[in-house]
Amino acid sequence: MDLINPTVVDLSRFQFALTALYHFMFVPLTLGLTFMLAAMETVYVVTGKQVYKDMTLFWGKLFGINFALGVATGLTMEFEFGTNWSMYSRFFGDMFGTPLAIEGLMAFFMESTFVGLMFFGWDRLSKPAHLAITYLVALGSNLSALWILVANASMNMPNGAHFDPETLRMTFDSFVGVVFNPDAQAKFVHTSVAGYVAASLFVMGISAFYLLRQQHREFAARSFRMAALFGIFSTVAVITLGDVLGRLDYEHQPTKIAAIEGLWHTSKPPYEPWIIAALPNDEKQESSFEIGVPFVLTPLITHSFNTPITGMIELEDAAAPRIASGITAVSALRRYEENHQAADLEEFRAHQNDMGYGLLATRHAPGQDVTAIAPEQLQSVIEQTKPDILPNVFVTFWSFRLMVFLGVFFFVLFAMASYLSLKNQLERNPLFLKLCMWSIPLPVLATEFGWITAEAGRQPWTVFDRLPTFMSASTHSVSYMLFSLAGFTVLYSIFIAVELYLMFKFARLGPEAHGPHEDADPAHLSVVAH
Amino acid sequence: MITLLRFAGLGLALVVALLFAVFVGDQGPWYFAWAVGTVMIILVAAAGGVLFDAQADASVSEGEF
Repeated sequence: MDLINPTVVDLSRFQFALTALYHFMFVPLTLGLTFMLAAMETVYVVTGKQVYKDMTLFWGKLFGINFALGVATGLTMEFEFGTNWSMYSRFFGDMFGTPLAIEGLMAFFMESTFVGLMFFGWDRLSKPAHLAITYLVALGSNLSALWILVANASMNMPNGAHFDPETLRMTFDSFVGVVFNPDAQAKFVHTSVAGYVAASLFVMGISAFYLLRQQHREFAARSFRMAALFGIFSTVAVITLGDVLGRLDYEHQPTKIAAIEGLWHTSKPPYEPWIIAALPNDEKQESSFEIGVPFVLTPLITHSFNTPITGMIELEDAAAPRIASGITAVSALRRYEENHQAADLEEFRAHQNDMGYGLLATRHAPGQDVTAIAPEQLQSVIEQTKPDILPNVFVTFWSFRLMVFLGVFFFVLFAMASYLSLKNQLERNPLFLKLCMWSIPLPVLATEFGWITAEAGRQPWTVFDRLPTFMSASTHSVSYMLFSLAGFTVLYSIFIAVELYLMFKFARLGPEAHGPHEDADPAHLSVVAH
Repeated sequence: MITLLRFAGLGLALVVALLFAVFVGDQGPWYFAWAVGTVMIILVAAAGGVLFDAQADASVSEGEF
């Protein structure tokens, strides 16, 4: 059997990573800004103060720009599964298709309908009805993300499905099992709340820009206050929920957690340090220049002081029997495909949990056919396959650290912002306001690093423990992949340029007053500068 | 009659909320945490806005006296 050209697989991976990372520049802002709009409009409905309506309208306009471009960049990704990942879609389509279809319904019907009502319904709906619509927009955008993350979680922890040897596909068993998959839960809450952080810093940064320029002070000071408080609670939540995700990875994806921590050998509790910085070398399977904080890793990962964490070398060794068992499973399955003998099916069922490891060994089998492995070749194939179970450690280790460092920075930034805003000392600290302004893109970067950690850490699998990535792509030519990759790069770069142009343009223009302010007296603003 | 209907409606909403909390809290504790946490974050942010207005009003009053 000929395997898919590795260059095509790499280009398919690169293309999906590129489109996903581009798309995810827009998503966090949408997820968070909708709930911030809901908070602002709630104050408007409760207090009747015009400034809160202006805030909802202005930040809503920036949300609208981001939403439109986010939808445009997200559309292509759903088609990429069919065009570039057809083997994966065939194997896992039953599982993946259902949440994606629901997401399509959510995004294109619920979310889009309510977005239209939110923008054009101000003069047509009562205040409470419009507020309800704004909440439904927020709920709709976050529920859209939920279904994407449910689909993604199925790839990391395929709950609610089983492999059918008759169809050679994963078959959907339980909707509840898929939706309430622990990985889906942890991933959704972590990602959604990371979006809140991005939106908070976006609002806070632009408000800081106005305060520095002494423009729209009444508007900016209130926006800053609400964003700072929204942000500090969201940052605490995102850190807590990230710990949940790490705990799940420790239990279900030990290779990912070992790569994240750069842990080549099993840890020695309780001393084992949490490595702050190091240079992991994937080839030599060791790290150099390690700087760590002792006694932190064990409680951080295991929530205990005496549980060892299995290292990558030991995980490789532990995979050897699974690779042997997987080769037996795949060989039995091939025979069953040809002859439909009950004995072959029985043998497959006895080893089916390791089937993915047999598929992983295909690359090193003679003629890329595991049924052709002679008994004397088996050990050699297993030894060659063992290192393949690990993800790229350097990428996983550093993307995780950059995300964590940024998360800690956000905590400090939002804590200071909340304090200074509550004490009304913002305008006495222009350097801090500048820091807020320049930090606007950082939460988006942090979420990108988070995605890289999650996706690079799952390798070498598209469906964890079931289907290797190198068997999941379509059989395109290299030139086809290069052409489409170049096309996406150009198109998506244009989208980003348009987004930045429009955001800068409307942010510089500032909010428009849509009615008389009850408290337009400049004396009120002394509260900002106290 | 309207008061009774309103009471019944609110009672029904309470029962639905409790059933939602029991089911989601049992099956999906992190979804439940997200729902409760998001509401809390919105309320805290909204309270921040209201507090700002209160501080502004107090500041004006201090200036007047």
